[in-house]
Amino acid sequence: MIEPPAEPTAEALAAKDKIVAKDVDIYYGAFQAIKHASLSMKAQEVTALIGPSGCGKSTFLRALNRMHDLTPGARVEGSILLDGADIYGSDADPVVIRHRVGMVFQRPNPFPKTIYENVVYGPRIHGERSKHKLDEIAEHALRGAALWDEVKDRLHRSALDLSGGQQQRMCIARAIALDPEVILMDEPASALDPIATSKIEDLIGVLTEKFTVVIVTHSMQQAARISDYTAFFHLGEIVEVGLTNQIFTHPREKRTEDYITGRFG
Amino acid sequence: MIAAALPPGEEGLAITAGVRSRKIIDNVATIVLWIMASSIIVMLAAFIAYMVYLGAGAISLSFLFGVPKETTAGGGIGPEIYNSFYILFLTLMFTVPIALSAGVYLQEYARPGLFRNIVQFSAESLATIPSIVMGLFGLLVFVYLFKWKFTALGGALTLTLLNLPALMRVTQEALASIPDTLREASMGLGGTKWQTINRVVLPSAIGRLTTGVVLIAGRIFGETAALIFTAGLSVPFNNPYDLNPMRPAETLAVHLWYTHSESIVPDVDRIGNGSALVLLVMVLLFNLVARFAGSRLTRHFTGRNS
Repeated sequence: MIEPPAEPTAEALAAKDKIVAKDVDIYYGAFQAIKHASLSMKAQEVTALIGPSGCGKSTFLRALNRMHDLTPGARVEGSILLDGADIYGSDADPVVIRHRVGMVFQRPNPFPKTIYENVVYGPRIHGERSKHKLDEIAEHALRGAALWDEVKDRLHRSALDLSGGQQQRMCIARAIALDPEVILMDEPASALDPIATSKIEDLIGVLTEKFTVVIVTHSMQQAARISDYTAFFHLGEIVEVGLTNQIFTHPREKRTEDYITGRFG
Repeated sequence: MIAAALPPGEEGLAITAGVRSRKIIDNVATIVLWIMASSIIVMLAAFIAYMVYLGAGAISLSFLFGVPKETTAGGGIGPEIYNSFYILFLTLMFTVPIALSAGVYLQEYARPGLFRNIVQFSAESLATIPSIVMGLFGLLVFVYLFKWKFTALGGALTLTLLNLPALMRVTQEALASIPDTLREASMGLGGTKWQTINRVVLPSAIGRLTTGVVLIAGRIFGETAALIFTAGLSVPFNNPYDLNPMRPAETLAVHLWYTHSESIVPDVDRIGNGSALVLLVMVLLFNLVARFAGSRLTRHFTGRNS
């Protein structure tokens, strides 16, 4: 008897590949920071990149929206597909890519401008001029970053007057104001206190309703709390990739197990 | 345990001889440094007081707005004040765009390499040329070679050469003080290089840039040696407030030097002291404006004013 083909589950449908990295090598001058890394990042899921300091996880992350273009001497080889199109292809433009793949950095980096001007910066540089539209975007983005209620009465004050945690959520608002498809986060909570950190973590959970999130974190607890998939990096290689739950409970590789049990790192 | 590490009898909290002598040295150092710092204020204050004492009597409406006289007493400095501002304006018109652009290029665009080194080296060499030499160069080029004679334009171009390197340096330093994380933030949002510079880097640096421009304006205002041979020692006899840049334009600072060294008017001291006071007040004003405008613009662009 032939089994009828199983209906694809909602889970499987949602878990469509958003970004696929194939055999990526990254060099800083002669130094090879990433070796043959291949990784699929699922749409609307959180993929955490973990590993000890200097393992290349941030380097890999920054390749996903071509931030290495800004670093003299950095070189990326291999292919990184965003919805099937190679972002290092000859017709791929970094401005367009960064519009679709936003980034939140390790330390909050607000522009020395008002909160409002920070959040609408992206839409403005991409040509949005309507004051009405920009107001709408600003409110929407700040609500999305769970910051609206705290700043709605002081949108036109300097963003530098916000606390560190608020600044980082504003940077997330600034990234989602562009309505990207993917948000890359490079240890977004490492400079924050525990309360601000937990707010950012809660926020990341909400963000996946719309966005694909790839996050670098040095905290394994954080990866376990917030991510669906985890990739373990070591010495520039991806040692193991899997569902976060599986990685943390039944790692297949010895090195992964050693790292998550605290034997090195 | 800790007490054991100390010499016997010193385990208490009371001050010891060693600590006391260190504290005395600390106090002495504080006082000496304070006196040195204060002496700068005292010197400036004494200088200003003496200039005011000498020059205040000379200041009158007819002195500030009158025209200079060649041989008789009672000449004014109106056209000289006008020329000082006129040449300042012309000079800044050339200097600011070139220095700013060159500074932005070197700091933001140029990759380390031969071209950048050559530009940097040229600017540094230009900066070391004494102003009198620059004045003689202006004389050869603008006055003789171009056959312009003594002109406001020739003076302004000479001053441009003199001040370009300094303003370029100021621009580079102002841009270098802007953290790269801001550039990354803008590029990360899909900004182009120019958008990043124009909308983030320059506005963030506006305070330092303004301060730099105004301080250089103060230097231009007080410059003499480079102007004596290029803008000349006279003002147009029939039209002292001429807008034409192709005519002699003696500035206030040059006039001060000229009356004391060359002129035959009987009231040299009055004109000299009065001119010096006016010049001093103007340059002090430039410094005050530089500070005020710098902080004001920074607040405006960072949204900290509301």
